[in-house]
Amino acid sequence: MSSDTGSTGEGDRPLAIATDGLEVTYADGTEAVRDVSLSVPEGEFFGFLGPNGAGKTTTIKTLATLLSPTSGEVRVNGFDARTEPERVRSSIGYMAQETSVDEELTARENLRFACESYGVPRADRSDRIDELLELVDLADVAEKEAGEFSGGMKKRLDAATALVHRPPLVFLDEPTTGLDPKARNRLWEYFRRINDQGTTIFLTTQYLEEADQLCERLSVILDGEIVADGTPADLKREVGGEILDIEIEGSADERERAVAVARESDLFEAATVETTDDGITVTARTARQHGTDLLVALRDEDIVVTGFNVRSPTLDDVFLAITGEHVEEGGADATADAAEVAAADGGDR
Amino acid sequence: MSTPTAEDGRTTMQGNSFAGDVWVNFKRWTLKSVRNPFVLVGSFVQPIVFLVLFTEVFGNVAGQALPGGIAYETYLVPAIAIQVALAAAATSGVGLVNDIESGMFEKVLVSPMNRTAVFLGKTISELLRIAVQIVMILGLGILLGAEIATGVVGAVGIVVVGIVFSLWFIAFSNALALITEDQESTIIGANLLQFPLLFVSSAFLPLSSLPEWIQTVAAVNPITYGVDAARAIILDAT
Repeated sequence: MSSDTGSTGEGDRPLAIATDGLEVTYADGTEAVRDVSLSVPEGEFFGFLGPNGAGKTTTIKTLATLLSPTSGEVRVNGFDARTEPERVRSSIGYMAQETSVDEELTARENLRFACESYGVPRADRSDRIDELLELVDLADVAEKEAGEFSGGMKKRLDAATALVHRPPLVFLDEPTTGLDPKARNRLWEYFRRINDQGTTIFLTTQYLEEADQLCERLSVILDGEIVADGTPADLKREVGGEILDIEIEGSADERERAVAVARESDLFEAATVETTDDGITVTARTARQHGTDLLVALRDEDIVVTGFNVRSPTLDDVFLAITGEHVEEGGADATADAAEVAAADGGDR
Repeated sequence: MSTPTAEDGRTTMQGNSFAGDVWVNFKRWTLKSVRNPFVLVGSFVQPIVFLVLFTEVFGNVAGQALPGGIAYETYLVPAIAIQVALAAAATSGVGLVNDIESGMFEKVLVSPMNRTAVFLGKTISELLRIAVQIVMILGLGILLGAEIATGVVGAVGIVVVGIVFSLWFIAFSNALALITEDQESTIIGANLLQFPLLFVSSAFLPLSSLPEWIQTVAAVNPITYGVDAARAIILDAT
């Protein structure tokens, strides 16, 4: 392991990724990434979370040297992405959002081409290809052309081609989008395995469940800026406690009345109370302890409760809380969508 | 260059040499063109149809327009050789569009391969294909009665002319591909140019027997010069 390349990591681990004030502005003036500072220590499973058009793909492409930063520092594996792109490229694996395999080549040929692209020594190639085919469960279809594969198989082949050179850092851009749950679980297992072997993983996703399952640490990006980061548990804590869902019979008026009761009850400190389609939701630290008291208070007001549930917050709640706030602030998505389209165009700008 | 560097303690794979990168890409594209016979055959059918039909249908009439007892087969074969080069070169951009659409282009860009080498490997693979196709056309031409006055050396010469000539069309096709990023537009664009250019040149008949305006256009038409060069070799003229 390295002593002091790049900046020093959190704790004593060196950083696989370090960006400082990263900005990416497209030729049409779209500010896809506004001010992103990231530090990902080696060996971490890092999640980069955000809705469509938030700037995830732009960030990952910039880190992978497919886009040039407009301003800011980008160091990947200790190399400057701007001045040493070749060294960055040979030290990373990259799996694009769109499945990228050559459909006219067999699975084995795709992997061989990847080996050759990265200069994997000839002597190691066939062993490594066999090993990867085994790892992604494609050994029995190794000689079939990738065009015949299902979406999930292509994704797994794509993932394998990103790893032929055993990169210390792998970028995965929404690797499971569009996959069925079974295929998704298989890929997850596979990512965990390579992470256990010491590979740093930078994963973007829209699926909160995915981030929750896999990532040690998360950053949430919205409209080109990082709006939250921490471990999944940290972020859940930020939601502000437990969540009490209460179903209420009757019209919207009844729900409004229930909200008023909850707010005036003094049962919860710093609670968020909102109406939902069929009732109300109370988010508060003491939601679990005082839930029944609220139910009693509602009954006293002749509000009919048809169901209730207390639960811990999920990342979905975190996401809703964060994105909700920002949408209210007027961080509209129109420009960011354009950015994602431009990013999807790819190219080497 | 293929050993991992131990510098600053990180194991990073070094890429290939420039020639190595060219070779890797050459292999990939050659494998693809063998694998996908449509591309190989597709660009080949039309010139063969032209060669057979033109000699059969126009042979007698066109022969009269030719100077000093040259068989129309012999006259036409170099034009068809150039047409093959053009048709094959026109599909070059299609491969690039496919790569952009399938994400393979990005995959290549994110790899440490030298980008010039990437295109060079692809182009050399296409030139090889063009060479093989020209040789097949020459063979077919000989079967139909064409004579190559300069023999084997001349045949090699025609292949070289075809290869050099196809380079500009490969460049054109790839440029179209990058601008349109669309398969159909690339094919249509290339064909749009290919057909009129072929007819408004010395490809099928001597310039002197063509209308004056065509002569004028033909004088600035690159195909005229490609065909004339190949034809000079087959006829052993000058």
